[in-house]
Amino acid sequence: MTTESVSAGDDPRRLLSDVHALARRVRVDQRVTWVALLVLAAVTFVGIPFDWFGMKLDCAPDGSCAFARRGVLYYWPVALLVAYAAIAFCYRRAARARGVDTRVLPYAVTGAALTALFTAAWIAAALYFPTHPTRFPEWALVFDRLITPWGTIGVALLVLARLERNLALLGFTLVYLAVVLVPVDFGWGEDWGPRTMFLPQQVINGVVLLLGAVGFAIARRRQR
Amino acid sequence: MTAEAGIPDAHPVTGLDDVVHQRVRLGILTITHEARRVEFGYLKAQLELTAGNLSQHLGVLETAGLVEVEKGYAGRRGRTWITLTAAGSAALAAEIGRLKLLIARVETPGD
Repeated sequence: MTTESVSAGDDPRRLLSDVHALARRVRVDQRVTWVALLVLAAVTFVGIPFDWFGMKLDCAPDGSCAFARRGVLYYWPVALLVAYAAIAFCYRRAARARGVDTRVLPYAVTGAALTALFTAAWIAAALYFPTHPTRFPEWALVFDRLITPWGTIGVALLVLARLERNLALLGFTLVYLAVVLVPVDFGWGEDWGPRTMFLPQQVINGVVLLLGAVGFAIARRRQR
Repeated sequence: MTAEAGIPDAHPVTGLDDVVHQRVRLGILTITHEARRVEFGYLKAQLELTAGNLSQHLGVLETAGLVEVEKGYAGRRGRTWITLTAAGSAALAAEIGRLKLLIARVETPGD
């Protein structure tokens, strides 16, 4: 929509197409998707040693081990809350520097609510399952993975994609969720023992987020 | 909005609001609707207007109660922020609805 276009007649089709083009441009200017993905990738990588060293192992002489991922419970709730606060702050700051406001708050609130849900579920599991060992069917494990920190990251990203009406982010998030939920780990870590068996999946999740951050950063530079 | 807007069979063009049905002002409303709050400089750049021209259009919208203009500072720099009011949001939705109706009327064969 330019000064020239003001006097170019009031064709309703052209007016509507101008309105849509302007709305699209504003949405693009409100986004700093790469920052969100970079923060989440960083949080994922930093969480790996917490899981490693925080794991409580109880091995029997026959080689069978019971384990509890205490590190996940200590690190992730705080890390995710800090991450969502940081993302909201960065989004607001970047958008305001460009001259617009942003709608990132519902994403941060959703992320925080999912963090509370994951924490409650993991605390309940830590209290219940040691005395009630249960073998779950595969579909239940998919749901279980959804309420892990890595799963909740994906669900919250779906909300961000909706808020931003960002199809590229939606596509990326669906791929990320598939990696987390299936899970795509190429069979790595299956026979590595309890302390290391979760390592490959966390590295893969972090790498996917990092690649996403790089991809969106490059796309952003090209848009400019 | 004009009174004709409420008449069921009135042609959509009769319901067009002169304040909103103007390219620049429609652009201002669209941007503020998407951005929630937008800086004067951003509007100026996006709509490719001079400061004076943009101020005039903002004045019309502010007088009609469709936007709120708020002046403040970011560090030492003066900044003007524009926010869409509830009336502005309703007016934009009505205008877009009428434009769509108008296009549908024009495209309906034998109309």
